[in-house]
Amino acid sequence: MQSSPDLAAGNIYDLGYRRYQGARLGRRQAVLTIYLQSLRAAFGLGRRPAAKIVPVALVVLALFPAALRLGIAAATDQNIRIVEPANYYSYIQILLALFVAAQAPELVGRDLRNNTRPLYFSRAIRRSDYALAKLVALASAMLFMTALPQVVLYVGNAFAGSHVWPEMRDSAPDLPRIAVSAVALSLFMAAVSLAVAAQTSRRAFAAGGIIALFVFSGTVGGVLVEAGSALWNRLGILISLYDVMRGATFWIFATDPEPESQLGRADLPGPLYAALLAALASLALVLLLRRYMRFRP
Amino acid sequence: MNWPVAQLTLRLLLNQKRTVLLAVLALVPVLLAAVFRWGSFEEHPADWASNRLMAQIIVAALLPLAALIFGTAALGSEIDDGTAVYLLAKPIPRWRVVVSKLVVAWLVTVAFVLMATVVAGVLALAGEGHALVVVGFAVAVIAGALAYCTVFLALSVATSRAFLAGLVYVFIWEGLVTGLFEGTRVLSIREYTLGLAGWIASLSPKTFEPELAGGQSLVLLAIVCLVAGWVGVRLLQRFETGESS
Repeated sequence: MQSSPDLAAGNIYDLGYRRYQGARLGRRQAVLTIYLQSLRAAFGLGRRPAAKIVPVALVVLALFPAALRLGIAAATDQNIRIVEPANYYSYIQILLALFVAAQAPELVGRDLRNNTRPLYFSRAIRRSDYALAKLVALASAMLFMTALPQVVLYVGNAFAGSHVWPEMRDSAPDLPRIAVSAVALSLFMAAVSLAVAAQTSRRAFAAGGIIALFVFSGTVGGVLVEAGSALWNRLGILISLYDVMRGATFWIFATDPEPESQLGRADLPGPLYAALLAALASLALVLLLRRYMRFRP
Repeated sequence: MNWPVAQLTLRLLLNQKRTVLLAVLALVPVLLAAVFRWGSFEEHPADWASNRLMAQIIVAALLPLAALIFGTAALGSEIDDGTAVYLLAKPIPRWRVVVSKLVVAWLVTVAFVLMATVVAGVLALAGEGHALVVVGFAVAVIAGALAYCTVFLALSVATSRAFLAGLVYVFIWEGLVTGLFEGTRVLSIREYTLGLAGWIASLSPKTFEPELAGGQSLVLLAIVCLVAGWVGVRLLQRFETGESS
């Protein structure tokens, strides 16, 4: 320690309260950052390796029906279309539910558990910005589960035969349908799962609640519609979130379900499913926003 | 059994929001059975009760979810919260800790699922003369709950993400894979439960036909409980306390 006569005794303490001099990036940048970080978190990027296993494995499994279709095309030379785009989401519905059940609590549960919400809300964002950024991030992540396999199937179908361009042109009307259905289902599942996940800081139980919601509603709706043909049996299918998603998808693709399937037995108009999908997603969004609006630190 | 550990575990499991969630889920089959009773269902009661109500809703959904919630929480939430250190520092043999936790998780699971099974079964079948269906599924659910709880408890010592791993086992392995590849059915607790239930209920194969025979299911259930229990004890004996997770 050497003493310097130049410095007054109190000087080392007098750092002053300095203001931040750099550029202030504002609300838009803050929201964008939450969105990007949440999107990364949805796949466990920047987390330990164990956090990456489940989301990545689910994306790979979701590609399985498309890979199966292309494998058959490669092995048999014949253009058998066993996997139709309108049916694709039904094949992987439990994988979709598991993805949101695993990752929605990951996006909101940690902030609840660690009480970091006040840190976010003291910045230049509104509370609704936080909730909406999380919602859009999870919905974007879900596009890897919904849109990606459809695109692989579409491109693969074209390249499986020898007539690449005519094939692509013929099934081109599917592209906007794929886009609309994938975005609609992703937003719906993200909204519903986040509305549940935001209620509890225990991530495991949030996951259980989300999966219970999808599985139980699906089974109950299925049991009701299988059991009879009265109107209330047919309306019972609307309890099943899976079937609401499926009905809306069929409506978007303008195809009719198999007469023997649950949707065929229910025989309800397509726009009803789409309207219910939108209504449930809005309800979930309201619940999610309310949860953050009402928060008092 | 160690009473203080068991009592604390019971409080840990029941004083939570999840109890409400489970009670709501347990009401679902009861409501459905009531709807079946007084609605205009066209299916045969024994057929509907065994295949839909019991197999699809109780054994395939309610039982694994309840066992997952309680089985992973009994020991897993103590490990999560860091209070497992205080438990493991006590001079109680580790196998006693596992057994106490397991028995409580099992009893709580059984309390919820058995209530749903009996009430819903009686509602759907009263006066139809298929009392053995209710008895069969009640016994099978008790045995299945023990197997599920043991597996999930062992899983919760092995990994901090036991709940997610259990979900994947129940809904991807038991739900999807066993449906696609028949040989994997001997590795599914759901199929053991159904096999045991079908054996006791002794319905005609036309009404309800499980994939596994009754005796085979019983032996496999016992093997699963013993192996998973042994693995759980072993993992807990080697568990390093003070590890932050």
